Amino acid sequence: MRYAEPETVEEGVSLLAATEQARCLAGGASLVAMMHAGQVAPPMLISLHRIPELSTITEAADGIWLGAMVRHRTVASDVRLRGAMEVVRSAAGQLAHPAIRNMATIGGSVGLADPSTELPVALVAAAARVEIAGPRGRRIVPIEELFVDRFKTSLARGELVTRIFVPQGLSEAVGHHLRFSRVSGDYPTVSISLVLTLEGDTCRQARVAVGSCGPVPLHVDAADQRLVGSRLAEEDVAEAGRILAHAAVPMDDVRGTAEYRRMLIPRLLGRALSLAREHAHG
Amino acid sequence: MSHPEKPGTGPTPVGDILGKSVPKLDAREKVTGRAVYTDDMTLPGLLHGALLGSPHPHARILSCDTSRARALPGVRAVLTAEDLPDRYLGAVIKDQPLLARGKVRYAGEPVAAVAAVDLETARKALELIHIQYEVLPAVFDPEEALRPDAPVLHEQRDAYFSLQENTEARARSPNAASHVRLVEGTPDKVWDQCEVIVEDVYETPAQQHIYLEPCSSLATVDRDSGKATVYTSTQTVFRAQAITAEVLAMPMSKVRIIAPRVGGGFGGKTESTNQPIAVALSKVAGAPVKLTFSRTDDMLMMRSRHAARIYVRTGATRDGRILAHKVRMYYDTGAYADDGPFVSALGAWLARGPYRIPHVEIECWCVYTNRLRASAFRGFGNPQVHFANEVQLDRLADRLGMDPIELRLRNALETGERWLGGARVESGTLRACLERAREVSGWSQRRSARASAPGKRRGVGVAAIGHVSALLGSSATVRLNEDGTVTVNTGAVDIGQGSDTALAQCAAAALGLSLDQINFTGPDTDGSPYDWCTAGSRTTFTVGRVITQACEQIQQQLFEHASEMLGKKEKDLELRPGGLVGVKGQPDATVSFGAIAGRALYFKGGPIIASSRWLFPAVPIDPNHTKAEGVSSIGNGYFVFAAQVVEVEVDELTGQVQVLEAWSVHDVGRAINPAAAEGQVQGGFVQGIGLALTEELVWRDGHLLNPSMSGYKVPGAPDVPVAIHPILLEHPHGEGPFGAKGVAELSLVGVAPAIINAIRDATGANVTRIPATGERVLRALMAREGMGTRDSGG
Amino acid sequence: MADKLPLSLTINGVAHELAVAPERTLLEVLREELRAMGTKRGCDQGSCGACMVLVDGEPVFSCLSLAVKLRGRAITTIEGVEQGRELHPVQRALVQHGAVQCGFCMSGIVLTAKALLDRNPRPTVDEIRHALGSNVCRCSGYAKIVEAIASLSEPPGPALPEGGRS
Repeated sequence: MRYAEPETVEEGVSLLAATEQARCLAGGASLVAMMHAGQVAPPMLISLHRIPELSTITEAADGIWLGAMVRHRTVASDVRLRGAMEVVRSAAGQLAHPAIRNMATIGGSVGLADPSTELPVALVAAAARVEIAGPRGRRIVPIEELFVDRFKTSLARGELVTRIFVPQGLSEAVGHHLRFSRVSGDYPTVSISLVLTLEGDTCRQARVAVGSCGPVPLHVDAADQRLVGSRLAEEDVAEAGRILAHAAVPMDDVRGTAEYRRMLIPRLLGRALSLAREHAHG
Repeated sequence: MSHPEKPGTGPTPVGDILGKSVPKLDAREKVTGRAVYTDDMTLPGLLHGALLGSPHPHARILSCDTSRARALPGVRAVLTAEDLPDRYLGAVIKDQPLLARGKVRYAGEPVAAVAAVDLETARKALELIHIQYEVLPAVFDPEEALRPDAPVLHEQRDAYFSLQENTEARARSPNAASHVRLVEGTPDKVWDQCEVIVEDVYETPAQQHIYLEPCSSLATVDRDSGKATVYTSTQTVFRAQAITAEVLAMPMSKVRIIAPRVGGGFGGKTESTNQPIAVALSKVAGAPVKLTFSRTDDMLMMRSRHAARIYVRTGATRDGRILAHKVRMYYDTGAYADDGPFVSALGAWLARGPYRIPHVEIECWCVYTNRLRASAFRGFGNPQVHFANEVQLDRLADRLGMDPIELRLRNALETGERWLGGARVESGTLRACLERAREVSGWSQRRSARASAPGKRRGVGVAAIGHVSALLGSSATVRLNEDGTVTVNTGAVDIGQGSDTALAQCAAAALGLSLDQINFTGPDTDGSPYDWCTAGSRTTFTVGRVITQACEQIQQQLFEHASEMLGKKEKDLELRPGGLVGVKGQPDATVSFGAIAGRALYFKGGPIIASSRWLFPAVPIDPNHTKAEGVSSIGNGYFVFAAQVVEVEVDELTGQVQVLEAWSVHDVGRAINPAAAEGQVQGGFVQGIGLALTEELVWRDGHLLNPSMSGYKVPGAPDVPVAIHPILLEHPHGEGPFGAKGVAELSLVGVAPAIINAIRDATGANVTRIPATGERVLRALMAREGMGTRDSGG
Repeated sequence: MADKLPLSLTINGVAHELAVAPERTLLEVLREELRAMGTKRGCDQGSCGACMVLVDGEPVFSCLSLAVKLRGRAITTIEGVEQGRELHPVQRALVQHGAVQCGFCMSGIVLTAKALLDRNPRPTVDEIRHALGSNVCRCSGYAKIVEAIASLSEPPGPALPEGGRS
């Protein structure tokens, strides 16, 4: 296996494009485990940790750019991620367990597209955008376009994620991430990320994403719209939850059956909304 | 406050070492990373071993081609069953080949073994082994396996050597490994006298030990003498020796087993693990071989707790006397019987709980299925049936309108009453444990409080525990060094529970020495006298006993010399702290152990040395008390008792359960090292939380879905409270050192039912299957409305 | 085996000049190349914590860290925690509180606790419990481990519930 540590994005892209089945190494938490288990055997590993721009966090007028190599623990402690953006911070601080948060990166998480993980869900709720660098230059796409299927992104050969834009959102928005797992540190059985804007008691804006319930993070416009304009009463939440549960395609696995996950979606949505509402009012 | 009843046999403790929470002898080396475990060791020319597991849960082996593996550069040995003696392993029924022979019976069963210059090469070699299988229909449920049309796992069942006849089992089904039936009184005749009857079926999972150190053996065979030396992670050097010798057709005089530090066992390392195969590889390769399992291989190839399905019917009178109890249990022993018949037998014995019940009928089937073999695991068959019983009892209490602790007190065995097979309870401290648990937990206040956050409900639950601690044989040698310090040799393996320290304290207390004056040696079949195994809550008890008895003999020899040296009669002498023999009432008349040793070695008498041996006597069944089929004695050992109370909080939205606080009350007889005993209580409790709430091996079509620590979850620090209160009662009694009793298993046995009872107290939901995952609890919560229970009568 | 790359690793303040294949994990390099056995292998997946080391003071899993990536980083293993011949306060507290049983988790636990206290000298019991979220202990039930670490929190954290003996 060959190994390279490019120092610029362009260098990384050209290495990636030149070698079939070459893989990028971000934090390593997932890739090294997979290599060790014999699940992947890349002929070349391109470590991104020496590319400075990938580790930077930049504030823009309307949001924050997070470099792909920024680790979850750094995202979790960045207080600039408030308001709507807090959904991403909240997810980064709760996922997995401390040592994984110290190692794993948001770019790695996004590139892996593991449907059992949480950061992609939070990014979808935040309506994040991803900057991708490739042989033909850079492009920016909405995050949902990146997740195609379980463990499958829309990245073409030679492309890598450089940074992720988390929009500031509406000024009164709050973001919240709720995870439910068997024990602490486990992958969630279900996770719910949401961004919510209230005006008094009325919901002005909502964006809900559900994780671990399908091949990609689940987002349904109709569910969001069902909440907008409502006072988030029990029947509003139940109906939005029903829409989401109906659209979800969860699997049976050791963390829960598909049926249990469907039962949990509306219940956890209600809890997440309550917590977000407390946050907004408090 | 302790109330000593009959003090334990043995010497009176001298000095203050007994009952002191001294830091463990090996604690420093463990916190600095200097402790040496098997995988840390190496020998010159070391090779690495790896095993190939079966891809099918049930299949015939048609052909096996290892030629390409043998030809791979760096490979020094490739073994299949053909290369091994035609011998079988098994604690009771010898049904297990070391490598699969003729057929495979569980997915993951080792089929071939390789030793190579490094692990990568060994693993590559495994991929080059081509085996052709004919897949056979498989069975994964014990009741299904007993049906006449079920696939048969062991066609040659009747040809296996077995310690038990098992005629009833064999008559019923070739998949029945063993069968036990116990009857007392006439249960079928008294149901109509029971004003309240509760009946249900309970299920418990295959729990995995998840000792943090995977199974590991480093074997080397001397080319001249043919003697094998194995460093290994084990709970028993002597059983590992015996099994290795037996299955490889070697005399035990050619097998030496040494245990360095061991990273946990919990019952999973009481049989042979990878010792025999490591020796076999080493013999063929002509070099030392280290075989350390990956976590995945360990979970695929080793052992689990018996999953169980238990049907229980219990009847009581209106005033809360349990009159009749009928239990039918199915213990899934997996592809090989292993310890299964013993586990099932103990489960059957304890299926009536620590209670006075005149009419009892218990039937236990230990059944083969095409899953990982099940074996010993802390509690040894009791946690499963205890779960069923203690949950059932709470349902009974509910129907009777009685407090659950009150119901248990009303039926709890007392000293002198007859229990298993008619044997008498010598130290009936269950009442003391229950009363203490009730008091210290604030039971009545918590039962009525019900305060909680919105969407969450709190409740308290209790379980009473009776278990059997200490069994089989141990021996120890104690010898005086020339300077008066002492060397203690035993075969006991400290697997983390602190036996080395506690046993050293026993010796120190028996002779009045400090711990620094005791040389406590490690387990080595060459140098150590026999100890059966670190299991069955027995080590402090049996090994402590023989140590103190040997120390008594040492004292005898010391006094013989001192009597002559001081010119006094032996009855006028006493031991004094620090290694001295003195004259009673005369503070200045002393002689040191060192002076005595010098006299003995150079002048008169010879080396001062003593050994002691003991076998826990097998207690025969009183046929007038119990009609027993399938067992010839009770689970021999000392009857011990405990009580556990748990407070939980149930999230009504998700069904998830959090343990908030717990009180685990144990009569330990005499706490040799209280902190170590507390550590056992707390550690066992958290393993019990795992069994109750999160742990289960999950199979689909015979393939394990979660052979990893990310798929199979044990409780982590954020999941459990710090407030697990270990409460040690001291009612010294019996054969243990200074009246000490066992504690290691009891700490786990009552946890699951206490939690399930607390869930019921909090929410009214009936959970009958553990682990009580969020999903199972949520379904039980939803079932509360409308659906009737299966209770009848009254 | 793939080609080895020259690699300088700084472990416990000492530079080691090595030649390492890129797919080798730090755990493999520690145990096999350097024969430093204090770091343990429990699962090879980042699910147990036995292999934990500190990189620039932060707990990470050596079983998931490729050695070649750690050039220029300060790596601390369990062997680097003792202070001369003296136990580090974390080590002493674990010993004194009876928190050590089989010991296989202890290298990871000590490093997690050290990293926590270096970052936050006054952790609450809850902060301690959560900081231990990457370390499995199968023997102790965690209670005495948490008590040991809490005893080092200065000033002492809120009173812990007592174990008792009759």
